[in-house]
Amino acid sequence: MTDTILKADNIVKYFYEPEKFQVLKGISFEVKKGEFLALIGKSGCGKSTLMYVLSTMDTDYEGSLTIKDTLLTKQSQNQLAAFRNENIGFVFQFHYLLPEFSALENVMIPALKLKRYSKAEIEEKAYKNLEMLGLKDQALKRVTKLSGGQQQRVAIARALINDPAIIMGDEPTGNLDTANTQIVFDIFRELARERNQTIIAVTHDDDFAKNCDRIIEMKDGQIV
Amino acid sequence: MFNSINNRISQVHLTSDVKQTIVAMLGVTFGISMYIFMTGFMSGVNDTQADLAFSALAHVRIYNDGPADNSNIAKKVFPNDIINVRNAKVIKYTDGIKNSTAILATLAKQKDITGFTSQVNVNVFFKNAGNKVNGVVSGVDVTNEDKVYGSSKHMIQGNWNELKYRSDGIFVGVELARVLGLKMDDNVNILTSDGVSRNYKVIGVFRTDVFSVDKSKAYIAINAARQLLGVNQDYVTDIQIDMVDYNNTQPLIDNIKSLIPYKVESWQMGNQQLVAGSSLRDTIARAVSLTILLVAGFGIYNIMNMTINQKIREIAILKAMGFSGSDVTKIFLTQAIIIGILGGCVGMVLGYIISRLVNRVKFEIAGMHHLPMTYYPHNYILAFMFGLITTFVAGYLPAHKASKIDPVSILRG
Repeated sequence: MTDTILKADNIVKYFYEPEKFQVLKGISFEVKKGEFLALIGKSGCGKSTLMYVLSTMDTDYEGSLTIKDTLLTKQSQNQLAAFRNENIGFVFQFHYLLPEFSALENVMIPALKLKRYSKAEIEEKAYKNLEMLGLKDQALKRVTKLSGGQQQRVAIARALINDPAIIMGDEPTGNLDTANTQIVFDIFRELARERNQTIIAVTHDDDFAKNCDRIIEMKDGQIV
Repeated sequence: MFNSINNRISQVHLTSDVKQTIVAMLGVTFGISMYIFMTGFMSGVNDTQADLAFSALAHVRIYNDGPADNSNIAKKVFPNDIINVRNAKVIKYTDGIKNSTAILATLAKQKDITGFTSQVNVNVFFKNAGNKVNGVVSGVDVTNEDKVYGSSKHMIQGNWNELKYRSDGIFVGVELARVLGLKMDDNVNILTSDGVSRNYKVIGVFRTDVFSVDKSKAYIAINAARQLLGVNQDYVTDIQIDMVDYNNTQPLIDNIKSLIPYKVESWQMGNQQLVAGSSLRDTIARAVSLTILLVAGFGIYNIMNMTINQKIREIAILKAMGFSGSDVTKIFLTQAIIIGILGGCVGMVLGYIISRLVNRVKFEIAGMHHLPMTYYPHNYILAFMFGLITTFVAGYLPAHKASKIDPVSILRG
């Protein structure tokens, strides 16, 4: 029981624009701790939509979502924000870093928000994460000065800073070349195996998906 | 508090696009400096107006107003009948103030009075050979008159205090002297309405810059005026009172009204047009400067809105990373408030500089040399407060909008 980290139960979601349309048609599944899970499917099948529901950012759905034995459905936006801060790390297709800050600061921001550790400890940890991703000497550079692959690795370092229960990726390698894709994949692989971190990634990349622990394929708002 | 991550983000936003920050700041700066300039200028104008007015006008005046109209006395007994009295007369039994010593003693006990003086004003003809001009000769208590009106400042020839020792001396207004062709040490003849005629020697000329006064007024010693009318030492026609705060005459009037059997009149009652003018100017100044602040507020609102639209993706990222709506509001509101404080401080300095410059513009009418200006600290504080409130409101609306941004719709693209 305790090794189930995420539980989605009968999730239904509609889009109302331009006309009412059911995107998710009662999706139920569980994710275990330390699992590396890929969500695949054709464009428009609802996999991204599902991921944003799982991420707690999208609250406009029916059904229930439980992460770390906490029922998140119907919680307020502010409660969910605090929960995300502590338990969920994000890696997006585009890096989505804050362009006016250095790589180090970008990594530190979620931890500074959480305030679990002192600033000095956070800085040390951020350095460690960047080092692990091979970016130690880029730490003080502005993120806009980094290459696409480096930026994506900074984003991963940021996602890891609060030791979240789950890391979610929306096409985390969608914008990267093969070499960088391999690097990012290896990092995820290692995180899942060695740190027992749960990873859920939406991807188009079949090679990427093939090497995951489990693949959930979606079609027309349902799991195949 | 100051080390929090929210403030750090605000700080980075402000410093990463310094040009935009400065433009936003200049909006506030401009609004506040204009507010300071306008209010300083308007209150300068009002003060000058008051100074001019009070060179010929006391704050409170006591005089004998003449009796009530009792000409149709039968009507009071038979109010419902038609009674016609032909060619009725209002008879004045008393003239001037007879018991001035008692009244002056009462006034001496009042608070908030900075000075009072008694006058014996007589309507006369001034004659020099063939020229005849009608006007007023004012018998004055030399020391107190100067205290209330600052009359000695207006002397352009002769010495004000000399009047104390010269019962045959007279000070004439500069225009009056011109019309009658009078110079120092010339003689001028005065003719009262009772037919008394007497010669005085011109021992001084004054200019108040109020044309009607300069043209028709002369000063003699109060006892000389009593002699001219043939009245006793206690007789005065007017008692003029100066107060600490000329806008606050009513309490004194309420206090002494019952003690004094004569008309007690404030300058406001006698000069409604001055009161109206001054409060209209105040209203204009306030309207104009508030409009300026409002415009500046819109400027800040626009810039904040723009900033937020530019940073909409970053806001979405912050929210995805777990920043709450109120964090986002704080981040942007902090920026607006910092812009407001900086802009306000610079605005106060700029307002002061503009005021100084305008204060040096030449303006030579009615005894003024430069455009009038005041530098009251409370105007500066008020401007700063208004500026802060404006930026707070103008910053809050966009910041609140930013807090409502839905990260999903932005991040999905």
